[in-house]
Amino acid sequence: MKRLALTASLALLLAAPAAAQLGGVTASPPPDGLQEGQSAGYPKGRYGALDALPDWGGIWFGQFRAGDAGAGTPKLKGDFKARHEAYRADVKANDGVVKRSKSNCSPPGMPGIMQTFQYPFEFIFSPGRVTINQEAWMQTRTIWTDGRTHPPLEEIDPTFMGHSIGHWEGDTLVVDTIGVNDTLDLQRGMGHSPALRITERIHLDPADPNVLLNEMVLDDPEALEEPFKLTVRYGRDRNGMLIEFQCSENDRNQIDEHGNTIFD
Amino acid sequence: MKHALRLVLAAALLAPAATAFAHHSYAMFDMSKSVPLEGTVVKFKWQNPHAFIEIDVPVKGQTERWAIEMTSPNNLTNEGWKRTTLKTGDKITLKIHPLRNGSKGGSYVAVRKADGFMLGDWK
Repeated sequence: MKRLALTASLALLLAAPAAAQLGGVTASPPPDGLQEGQSAGYPKGRYGALDALPDWGGIWFGQFRAGDAGAGTPKLKGDFKARHEAYRADVKANDGVVKRSKSNCSPPGMPGIMQTFQYPFEFIFSPGRVTINQEAWMQTRTIWTDGRTHPPLEEIDPTFMGHSIGHWEGDTLVVDTIGVNDTLDLQRGMGHSPALRITERIHLDPADPNVLLNEMVLDDPEALEEPFKLTVRYGRDRNGMLIEFQCSENDRNQIDEHGNTIFD
Repeated sequence: MKHALRLVLAAALLAPAATAFAHHSYAMFDMSKSVPLEGTVVKFKWQNPHAFIEIDVPVKGQTERWAIEMTSPNNLTNEGWKRTTLKTGDKITLKIHPLRNGSKGGSYVAVRKADGFMLGDWK
């Protein structure tokens, strides 16, 4: 009897995938603004055109330079301002130590992920898309350059990276991002609304081809008095490689019940 | 690149509210203090998000186990580090920024091995 029961449950288990459509193949419609056959899902015959794009080979390390990033801070308003003031008071009361509501193994999302200075980036060009691999948290950003438009904001599932579309203006990649999860920080301790829009103009520095500049504009009419601009610099290592980042395998900085980072 | 790393750390110190997103904030370390640590390597972990050195430090006949956090392996590579730079049992001297809360931990600044090999900022 026992064996029969086991056999029966095994049979159920084996049958389950079909019943639940596990492994089922989806058939997504063309992205907004495109016809079937135009999306990045149809790369064949379009690889040759990539050679006209600028040379962003190698890996790129975010760099501080006095007066670059950090010059000024976003001007918050309303509840966002009040919450940031409360956060600052809390940090001050906590001996300058920053508290976290999420694990340190949880990535910052946009726009913070483009401003990591310990972990490099790489930019992969393929037909209809630019892929940014980030060593930090092994994150990946996709910027669709196939001409698609954003879906309406209310149809976008909010995510860490948001929905990014881009196009080339000469040798500058212009990226527009919306749909960023509003539980993430704009900067440390600064929130934003679901209406956040991030514009990036990414190009090589005319003064130094081994420097890539990202001119970012953060716009959020609900959280900001005015759009906030900052420029992030990246320096090139031609033959460098991203290193694996499996945070849970070396998670010595867990968060305690008070939001303090533990040092183990 | 070594210079760049130092700038990163300096910026983390000077502008904790600025735009840098590291794996975690450096505010838990007292970046204004540097202290030496002399002891034996228990473990050298070469892995993201941070490399770590665990070191046994003899203090008044007892042994204290310290954990020293470093930056990412990719940053450390630029400073001359390798996975094989330290081995368990190596006698080393470290310079660190200690934890503010007084626990036996800190942030790596520089290392000197028994054979005179040095890395980091000893200035």
